[in-house]
Amino acid sequence: MADALQLDPGKSEKKRKALSTTLILFIVLVAMVAVFSVLSRDFYSFLNLSAMLTNISFSGIVAGTLTMVLITGGLDISIGGNIALTSCLVAYLFNLEKPVPGWALVPIALALGAAIGAFNGVFITRLDLNPIITTLGTMAVTRGLGYVLTKSRSILIMENVTGFIGRTVVPGIQIPIPLVLMAITYILLFFLMEKSKFGRKVYCIGANPAAARVSGIRVNGVKFILYLMSGIAASVSGLILTGQTAVGMPQHANGVELDVITAVLLGGTALSGGKGSILGTLAGVLILGVLYNGFTMIGFRYVHIRVFQGILLILIVALYELREKKRY
Amino acid sequence: MGGQLLEMRNISKQFPGVQALKDVSIDLGAGEVLGMVGENGAGKSTLIKILAGDYSMDVGEILINGQRAVFRSPSDASEQGIRVLYQELVTLDTLTVAENLFVGHLPTRRASGLVDWKSANESAKAVLRQMNIDLDPRTIVGDLTVHQKQVLEIAKAVHKKATILVMDEPTAALGEEDTQSLFGIIRNLKEQGVGIIYISHRLKEVFEITDRVTVLRDGQKIGTVRTEQANMAQLIDMMVGRELAEFYPKREVPVGETLIEVRDLTIKGIIEKVSFNLHRGEIVGLFGLLGSGRINVLRALYGLDSYDGGTIEVKSKPVSIAGPDGALDNGIGYMPIDRKLEGLALGMPVSTNITMANIDRIGGGFFFNHKLERQKAEKWVHDVSIRTPDIGTEVNSLSGGNQQKIVLARLLETGSKIFLMNEPTRGIDVGSKVDIYQMMENLCEAGAGIIMISSELPEMLSMADRIIVIAKGRITGEFSRQEATQEKLLHATTL
Repeated sequence: MADALQLDPGKSEKKRKALSTTLILFIVLVAMVAVFSVLSRDFYSFLNLSAMLTNISFSGIVAGTLTMVLITGGLDISIGGNIALTSCLVAYLFNLEKPVPGWALVPIALALGAAIGAFNGVFITRLDLNPIITTLGTMAVTRGLGYVLTKSRSILIMENVTGFIGRTVVPGIQIPIPLVLMAITYILLFFLMEKSKFGRKVYCIGANPAAARVSGIRVNGVKFILYLMSGIAASVSGLILTGQTAVGMPQHANGVELDVITAVLLGGTALSGGKGSILGTLAGVLILGVLYNGFTMIGFRYVHIRVFQGILLILIVALYELREKKRY
Repeated sequence: MGGQLLEMRNISKQFPGVQALKDVSIDLGAGEVLGMVGENGAGKSTLIKILAGDYSMDVGEILINGQRAVFRSPSDASEQGIRVLYQELVTLDTLTVAENLFVGHLPTRRASGLVDWKSANESAKAVLRQMNIDLDPRTIVGDLTVHQKQVLEIAKAVHKKATILVMDEPTAALGEEDTQSLFGIIRNLKEQGVGIIYISHRLKEVFEITDRVTVLRDGQKIGTVRTEQANMAQLIDMMVGRELAEFYPKREVPVGETLIEVRDLTIKGIIEKVSFNLHRGEIVGLFGLLGSGRINVLRALYGLDSYDGGTIEVKSKPVSIAGPDGALDNGIGYMPIDRKLEGLALGMPVSTNITMANIDRIGGGFFFNHKLERQKAEKWVHDVSIRTPDIGTEVNSLSGGNQQKIVLARLLETGSKIFLMNEPTRGIDVGSKVDIYQMMENLCEAGAGIIMISSELPEMLSMADRIIVIAKGRITGEFSRQEATQEKLLHATTL
């Protein structure tokens, strides 16, 4: 039965390595949970872990879609502005004299996210603009529109549909709905990237866009869909955040780009494209969440953690860069 | 010939899993051109990289003018007068010729410390004139042709007192005229006592320009022969280690129905009213000089560039090709000129690269069938004889010939009937070339047709059934295989 013993030949060296990177990350995650549990008695409690996971779910969802964008060599930093504008629009519409009903808020929010994503996608693919600059512009536009819409104020929104999305738990097992949404997102994206034809095209585009085009892959079409997905994911995150805080405000998700990009890069996705995995990003998101929560629990202040996070981002990139250099 | 300028003795180098060099010794005299030939993976590049100080050697020693030299870095080697001109030139394209020539030591005004442009341009002119090179020091290097850039690199090396010059496939991107101009410069360098190591796959050139030839195979030196005492067949035998009955395995294939009919294809300012056709079983060569528009014809047929006028009929049905996916749907496949630029996802495994043009057909519906992909990849690795440890190996670790076969396998996997091949054997070893020619003949026998571009005249004359000459965007001649000669083709390019 020599055949059965043989290593799966279809799994590339790269895949094997990506897998092992992910494995290392999950080991780090478990180790961190263990350390923080020893350092703080309150850390390893159902209440704290559940709160932590709920807190990371809104950035976790956009990290998933951003992973795919990064694999094609693109970037989307408009997600924070998108989240903020979604929350502002939803709260604004609900607080009109004739309020838009709760059930209509969800499709409206998703349509907004899709529109922002499509806007990015069109400019980046059709006009071949630089994704960083394009989405930087969109970030300013969306967050700015949030300020305009709310007249720079926070709008309270006590409403059932967003409340359900952001503030309820699955009855019986006590798992928060945001966490369920994040889990569904990651399962779908995992199958999309690892098992589907579309995912294979995404990887090929990242590895060599010119070769992908010559191979008949509709490079622009695929990229457009990814920016569209990123936009829609951001509006889902916007709904979650609106529900969690019961407020629509333009300052929402300020600086979330840093969290999300750090998590994706930590998960082993390369800024240059072609490499990365959804599972890696999941590990990255969880590690960052545990770090934030753990440091808070043992008494660090948010501002200090922020400094630490910036340094961490640079360290991660340096580390992967060194590893890449060592290979050749 | 003066004393030994360079000796590399008993060089061995091991990479993980590969013995790249085993006990290789070469020597080079002042004013001598030493050819170095061998299939891809024979060890030429490794040997050169050791000489340039890029790699360290496991065993062996290097002597320069009889003195033992130790290279810890490329700058050590360059201090000893060693320069390597790599295939991919590393010019600073946004700067001028003079800046490139004097990079790092531009003349400055003593008073201000600012660059003295006048003196820089004048001394650049003097340096270039001394070498009989006609270049304006103020030209932006990005505007130069490949050959001019190459000449500039040579001038830079000589200016920096290089005594040993290594040229790695210097003519790969050059036409006939530029090649002759390069040879003129090489002869000039010989007179000045520069020793040159000349690496090339083009044996004809090796015979023309070298004094001796060293043949490497599988990391070992097979032998060094005096060029005047050697012949082509002997060198090929030494390189591949087997008899090559016929270099171009051309078969007579009966010509069938028309596969593609192109009428009045026009791209404004580039090609004008180009009309031709291709039949089953036929190889049609498009011949022309650089910039003649022959590549644009191929790219337009594949939907990579748009065209302004004309019609394309595939199997007598008019089609409009909006992009490569549309071309593939019409049974048209394309092999790009540069496998690294447009051909391969280098960091991806062999299997991914083979199936890349067929993703939608591997598995039904939404999901990609990884098992089917493995089967297909295994089949092609076997059928096209790709030498790879397994189908999961990243293609950037394979030799050029094997990489090219992967591009070919992908093309075959699309099931196309019309193949557009842009320099199908560019920069690959003799053995792989023959394999690819065989494959082209197999395709013709199976009822496919091939439109081929090649800048290697012997390849064109031997493989194409019909040759269409394109000059300045127009067709200026058409010759059958029997009629075509080098002179006729070159003459047609001037019409």
